[in-house]
Amino acid sequence: MKDIIIEKNSKKVLDNFQDLFVARNEIIKHASKKINTSEDEINHLSQILHPNKIEVVVKKIVEENSLTKSFYFTTEDGSSFPPFIPGSYITLEIHIDNRIYKRPYSISSNPSHLNEYRITVKKEGIVSKYLFNECKENDKFTLYGPFGHFHYNSLRDSNEVIFLAGGSGITPMKPMIEDLLIHKRVSKIDLIYGTKTVNDILWKKEFDELTKKYKNFHIIYLLSEEKRDDYSYGIIDESLLRKLEPMNKTIFISGPTEMYKSLNELLKKLNIPNKYIRHEIYTNIPENLGTKEYKLVIRRNNEKITIPCYENKTLVQSMEENHIDAPVHCTVGVCGFCKSKLIQGTVKTENSCLRKKDQELKYIHPCVTYPLSDIEIELPF
Amino acid sequence: MKYDCIVIGAGTAGLISALTLQKKGKKVLILEKGINPGGALSSFKRGAFEFDTNVFPMYGFGSEEKLGEKMFQQLDLQNKIKMNFENELFHIIVTETNEEYTFSKGIESFEQKMEEYVPGSMEVMETFFGLCLDVKEALEYIKTQKTTLDERDLLQKYPNFVQLAPLKVKRVFEYLNMPKKVIELLSVFCNYMGSSIKDLSFVYFANFVYTFISSGPCYPKNTSYEFVKLLEESFKEKGGVIKYHTKVNEILVDNGKVVGVQANNETFKTSHVISNVSPKMVYEHFISQENVPIECIKLENERILGPSMFTVFVGLNKTKNELGIEHTHYIITNTLDSIKEFEKLHQVFSGHLIAHVIEEQNTTQVVLTGMIYKDALKSFFTPDHYFEIKEQLEDYFVTVFENATGHFIRESIEEIDLATPVTYARYTGHPYGILFGYLAKGYDNLLPRMFCEDEENKIEGLRFCGSYGSRLSLFLDLMENANEVALKTFGECEE
Repeated sequence: MKDIIIEKNSKKVLDNFQDLFVARNEIIKHASKKINTSEDEINHLSQILHPNKIEVVVKKIVEENSLTKSFYFTTEDGSSFPPFIPGSYITLEIHIDNRIYKRPYSISSNPSHLNEYRITVKKEGIVSKYLFNECKENDKFTLYGPFGHFHYNSLRDSNEVIFLAGGSGITPMKPMIEDLLIHKRVSKIDLIYGTKTVNDILWKKEFDELTKKYKNFHIIYLLSEEKRDDYSYGIIDESLLRKLEPMNKTIFISGPTEMYKSLNELLKKLNIPNKYIRHEIYTNIPENLGTKEYKLVIRRNNEKITIPCYENKTLVQSMEENHIDAPVHCTVGVCGFCKSKLIQGTVKTENSCLRKKDQELKYIHPCVTYPLSDIEIELPF
Repeated sequence: MKYDCIVIGAGTAGLISALTLQKKGKKVLILEKGINPGGALSSFKRGAFEFDTNVFPMYGFGSEEKLGEKMFQQLDLQNKIKMNFENELFHIIVTETNEEYTFSKGIESFEQKMEEYVPGSMEVMETFFGLCLDVKEALEYIKTQKTTLDERDLLQKYPNFVQLAPLKVKRVFEYLNMPKKVIELLSVFCNYMGSSIKDLSFVYFANFVYTFISSGPCYPKNTSYEFVKLLEESFKEKGGVIKYHTKVNEILVDNGKVVGVQANNETFKTSHVISNVSPKMVYEHFISQENVPIECIKLENERILGPSMFTVFVGLNKTKNELGIEHTHYIITNTLDSIKEFEKLHQVFSGHLIAHVIEEQNTTQVVLTGMIYKDALKSFFTPDHYFEIKEQLEDYFVTVFENATGHFIRESIEEIDLATPVTYARYTGHPYGILFGYLAKGYDNLLPRMFCEDEENKIEGLRFCGSYGSRLSLFLDLMENANEVALKTFGECEE
């Protein structure tokens, strides 16, 4: 490039050039000495919305029916809980016999009352049985979250929506439906709520009141093990679903694993695009698991621990049994918190929620991984 | 156990610094508060979609110089990453006047296109790019000068550069007597470099614009997470240690020297820290106040923070063709008056966005990014309405895109999520979630920062890398800077 002349005087050119750092030093010399150590409002908000953990106390326990209890938590320090989108879950950490368990539970309370979180638990596994039988008021726990992407989104989802709930799968839907109705975010809601018997229906009174108050909310109670007048009988099948005219409507599904399996087939048959199908996270235990025992070597922070593991238990379950505090939040291979590198061994696992590069580098989610040989993994921390 | 160096933050720059030191045989520990490498460069899954969080393209790979490839080579990453090269630089839509302009990569192609839009502009464009090249060459020369700069020597070798060095973009455009439309079209870049045409140094602008236009945009095929993951793996393979989920509480300083780092109630001994965390956070929160030199506080108080972003990630269940979308990079702006538009970025609903469109297996991702300065965020979010505001913003950005392009996408949305400054604060810890570092303005532009960097490191053993560092926040500069900072630290380790 030919030479240009913006400034003829070469001394001035050099002065201007030197000024780049001379003037900077000069300005800084005269700057304020005040130290500001307060957190900025954006980082502060991020802490409020996504705390590392929440220490809570059980304030109230309500028996919803013979197999289900609701637990009301307040925070130990009396502060408000983080705001959440209806449909979110928290992870509860619970210590039983020196073992540390972490389990996800949908928040069944409404985000307009942030002085408490409620979870509603059906007596099923180790943790829920403990909660059901042993947990008392004033017991203390640690929660993580809120987490999850099982939400209504006004841009993505349709104006008329369908909720399909099975058993305790109703828990995240309770605050979702209330939120949509109260804030008039949709024009119509159909809920099919399947349970075994009438006694299994949670919050029936409250739901019935909602249908009275909001004419655009309809419920079909569906019983699978009891025939009663005024109630439908059976499971969600094609003819029932067709009655709700499901085309171009967002369908929210939450319930036991068998229900997802049968509904997935049904929705496929009806040619419903994925965009309209929103699943709550769910456990999908592979079929035909063996029972053989293997060795699981865990690398963590330059330490190596070896424990037994079994073909029919996830690696996280084996860690729990062996008193290892596994990093885990969702327990169903979705959230990525337990993502670990598989260093050696073959496994049966579900990796559809892993990023492409992580799949390629043989990362696994130990919470949905079953061993098929001796295994070595490296935990994330 | 003592480490030669502790790197705080496994962001892209932190990883490059760590890897550089480790390849030179140093024992390096990285402490990262999150559970994944990459910081702002990452990816996340929603349903069938994996979204790249790096919303600005990488560059420096497609041209003859291949600066990016040289950088990758130094890190032993050549040929390890498949890049998707894009020919289109951007398609500008001016919403108030319905004007549209498309530019493709390559200096000649750019000049020709400009000539088409502004007849008679060829000569001035050639001069402009000629000056850009002068700037690039001089910068390369300066980087090789290890000792203090001899300004007379520089003036003799690079007279154009020395004259241009103190000038802002606007001043040079005026000097070149550019037609108004040329100035307007070139200025579109500035607002996405994290400053305005009247504040941004011409040197910084010229260096980037030339490299970007000549090499064109590119994106790692498997998202930029692949890139940071490769850095991380390569660091670990050679024995490097990364501790995730480990938040630093304090950088321990004694007698003006770094002596260690405390994190998760553990103390790690070291004499050298490279911080991928901003100086602002380090001086205000990581070092006990009596150990922070007053000059550092003064410097912080004088600096202005750059912009943060809103990014809407939209996963659509149709192909680009089915949606009717033709372009890859859109810049949507109200007018071409860049100074006026820069002021608009101080409002949340600015009418401004860039869109990147990626097609993959019968689906399309549209990623919409709006820049935002922190004064607009004051009391904008409240905890109770945060999620409600997020939905409003999603709607707003999608609407701006739809109205500007005429392509209606909302019917086809399968997944959608919005990253706000709060999200960026969560994953990077940067003040106000600002990813662009300090505003390039006045004497806080590229050259003053570069020239004053060593002198402004008042705590022995502490250096900074990343977007708050001396080479600002653009991809190649940031990588090069991380490498240089590590080499300086290496030099000190050897002393």
